[in-house]
Amino acid sequence: MFPIISAMLVIPIVGFVLIALLKERMSKGIAVASTAIVFALTLGLLIYSITTGNANLSESYSYISSFGIGLSFRLGIIPLILLFMSSIVLLATALSGNHENSRPRAANMLIMLFQIASIGLFTSANFFMFFIFWDIGVIAMFFMINVLGSANRRQASIKFLIYELLASALLLLAILMIYFYTPVHSFDIAYITSNIAMIPANVQGAIFALLFIAFMINMPLFPLHHWLPDAHTEASTQGSMLLSGILTKYGGFGMILLFGMMPVSHSWASYIALLAAFSTFYAVFLLMRQTDVKRIIAYSTIVEMGIVMFGITALNSLGTYGAVYAMLSHGLVVALMFLAVGSLKHLFGERDINILRGTVLNAKATTYTFLIGTLAMVGFPLSAGFIADILIFLGTLQSFGLLGLIPLGALILLGSYMYFVINRSMLATREHSRNVDYIGMQQRIGYAFLMFFIFLFGVLPFLLLNLVKL
Amino acid sequence: MGFIFTNVMSSYGLLAAVLLLVAATVCSQLIRSKRAALFTSMFMLAAAAAFSAHLILVSVSLSVISIISINMFSMLFVLLFAVAMMLVNVLSYRHSRDYTSFAMLASFSFAGIFIVATAASLISIFIGLEIMAITTAFMILSDGKHGIESATKFFILSSVSIAIFAFALALILPYSGQLQLSALSASAITGNYLIVLAIVLFAAALAFEAALFPFNLWTPDVYEGAPGNITALLAGVNKKVAFVALIEIFMVVLLAYKSVFSLLFLVLAIVTMFYGNIVAIVQKSVKRMFAYSSISQAGYIVIGLAAASAFGIEASIFQMVAHAFMIIGAFALILWLESRNIRSIDDYAGLNSRNRFAALSLSVLMLSMAGIPPLIGFDGKFLLFSSALSANMLALAVLGIINSFISIYYYARVINAMYTSKEHPRLMTDRHVAAVVIACLVVVVALGIYPQPLITLATQASAAILVL
Repeated sequence: MFPIISAMLVIPIVGFVLIALLKERMSKGIAVASTAIVFALTLGLLIYSITTGNANLSESYSYISSFGIGLSFRLGIIPLILLFMSSIVLLATALSGNHENSRPRAANMLIMLFQIASIGLFTSANFFMFFIFWDIGVIAMFFMINVLGSANRRQASIKFLIYELLASALLLLAILMIYFYTPVHSFDIAYITSNIAMIPANVQGAIFALLFIAFMINMPLFPLHHWLPDAHTEASTQGSMLLSGILTKYGGFGMILLFGMMPVSHSWASYIALLAAFSTFYAVFLLMRQTDVKRIIAYSTIVEMGIVMFGITALNSLGTYGAVYAMLSHGLVVALMFLAVGSLKHLFGERDINILRGTVLNAKATTYTFLIGTLAMVGFPLSAGFIADILIFLGTLQSFGLLGLIPLGALILLGSYMYFVINRSMLATREHSRNVDYIGMQQRIGYAFLMFFIFLFGVLPFLLLNLVKL
Repeated sequence: MGFIFTNVMSSYGLLAAVLLLVAATVCSQLIRSKRAALFTSMFMLAAAAAFSAHLILVSVSLSVISIISINMFSMLFVLLFAVAMMLVNVLSYRHSRDYTSFAMLASFSFAGIFIVATAASLISIFIGLEIMAITTAFMILSDGKHGIESATKFFILSSVSIAIFAFALALILPYSGQLQLSALSASAITGNYLIVLAIVLFAAALAFEAALFPFNLWTPDVYEGAPGNITALLAGVNKKVAFVALIEIFMVVLLAYKSVFSLLFLVLAIVTMFYGNIVAIVQKSVKRMFAYSSISQAGYIVIGLAAASAFGIEASIFQMVAHAFMIIGAFALILWLESRNIRSIDDYAGLNSRNRFAALSLSVLMLSMAGIPPLIGFDGKFLLFSSALSANMLALAVLGIINSFISIYYYARVINAMYTSKEHPRLMTDRHVAAVVIACLVVVVALGIYPQPLITLATQASAAILVL
């Protein structure tokens, strides 16, 4: 069969090199073309999986043969959904995220690098590749904040790097331990999952703790979330879209792998559920004190990822697939919202809710996009978030009983506060902010593109859910 | 042409290349021709590299005139040092005040290095180290602005280290009566405390050259005082030669005392990593920061010696090759920037807007040193930490990873400074520096993405040295 996964990985690499070598004005075109081709390929894969009902693919090449490390990829339904989400977000980012088209070469090279990381991470079949692509993604994001960010980007990017590389140090230690404690030294995720019982129980506990903390930093969950709001405030629009849209999903994906791999996680699940629930409420209450719209959305990411974690701890297929669906929905929604905020900043030169007034008069598309994004985020019916929330809370209802519905409270608080914010600032038409610029067609296409998929997966959830046994 | 190199011919060719290198650079010094010196140095070093590459390809193990042992281990390092020497020569041609003298001294030094790398007896190691140390002292002296202080410091300390080495040699000698490495290793002398003293003295003597804590106090001053091309030579070549000697002595001669020296190196690795990394954090001068960072990198290399297994040596060899290229590239950039009066971290601010190439390549080299995949530094650290784990030294692996994490901070600080926007006049790229840096970057990125060839070489090399 045609090696579609490695072909997908080669495209951004070629794009990266071309952008580096060709003229700067061509870089955006190359980035859009490359992300569009990857998007088309993942769409093809998704359609193929939907029609055949089978999403499993694998490819393997020899890489570091002395350690039995192959360049091996595998695709299942969960990686496929996340891969598809990331390809949509990347295309939208490359097309419409850079309103001023500032520093196009640097920005687009970093997008290509981030795409390499995302494709590799979601499809990697062994932990060695997982780790490598994880770090490539982190470094690409570090430069996106550090090089392309706003005034305070230096502190924010260093903070981001320290947190994320702490996570990757823990991850490295954990995968090395797994490698040396499995009887046939191996990094292969499938092999480890089936042979996890060979590892002594106390070592399993240590490995679980290391991996959990690593993924928890990335997701992020309370109390290791401090890097996220600062990183978002200082990142460029494109950086924010990719950071919340895709990078935080690395941790979520890792959590799903971890909970599927290690039975020891089950004994910790209820405590982790408690932590996740606390994290959602904590983030909501912090969110209410923010005035910068970007910071508000950043905290909403912590809320949503808390709910994803909560779904995973339900330890049933409803909860797990709900978590994947929530990551799909949240990735698209948060990219849409950051795009809209970027447009607001571009249009009015301002992101503060105390200053933004009546934007609906002069920027209808952007304001309504933001409104729709908010509704989709809290799981309004017909949006993908609704399906995700239903799945997650059905799952947690099964596992924890009525207690499993508690985080719904955080979601309701989030939705009502967000609507309150929008109503008071963007929809308040008594006075209105003055336009300093206009948005182009590219941004509108970006809105429509992201919204299309948010509603597609909200209206036709069975497209994906037919592929799994719930 | 129908002319086929046999293995023996290649070995003699290698020897001839080294001798001709010395002769040719001496002649160039006599006629004071910079071009002749560069041309002959590069040609002879390239010839040495080619011969050693050929001997690696046929993977032969033989002994020439009974003092030069040709095997995978020695040839890998002859190849590495010849290539590294070529890079340093290119740098010095442009940036040295007196290139012909440099070329001559460097060729002497390379002869010493060649003797250490191919040593078949302890005396060869001793002589080779001595030749290298003395010529290096002269190189520091002849070139730097503050050369005399650095050179004196280096000279006194390396004399002391050579004296200690001689004493350790004298302690070993009565027990075996001979100095051939292979013969010594066969007569494993066990259960004598004088040998333990010899182990400590050997370790101390070579730790001076390899700049391991607490024998590294000369390093930052000498690195900073010497001009960048000499610093690149010190950090990229001399330090690795000391490690080659360490491996030859400990893994061949003293292998019977594995449990003793493993513990010794465990302690050295931990203190060296922490010292280098923690002190690097507070440095203002970038060159000094890299001096400390190279101390901590030496600490990582020692992890493989602490593991004291074939895998550990393989990891050390990999990291030695990796670090040689990373540090030569970094010091090449620093040398060039220093000549434009860019020294402290504050001066590095806004470097990206002055010269994209410098900022990008220094960033890549630093990320590689910090162990970020998919660059060569990551593969080296991955192997080292794996070797520690495979030797059941979980704590060492954990401390190594912690150190690797600490080092992120000071590298990121420089990257951060370079990418601040600040309006400055642009800097023109120096093409000699650019050539060296690009060569280093190619190695760092290519072998980082696909490390298997170097891993295979390192495996064969470590097998070859353990067979001796």
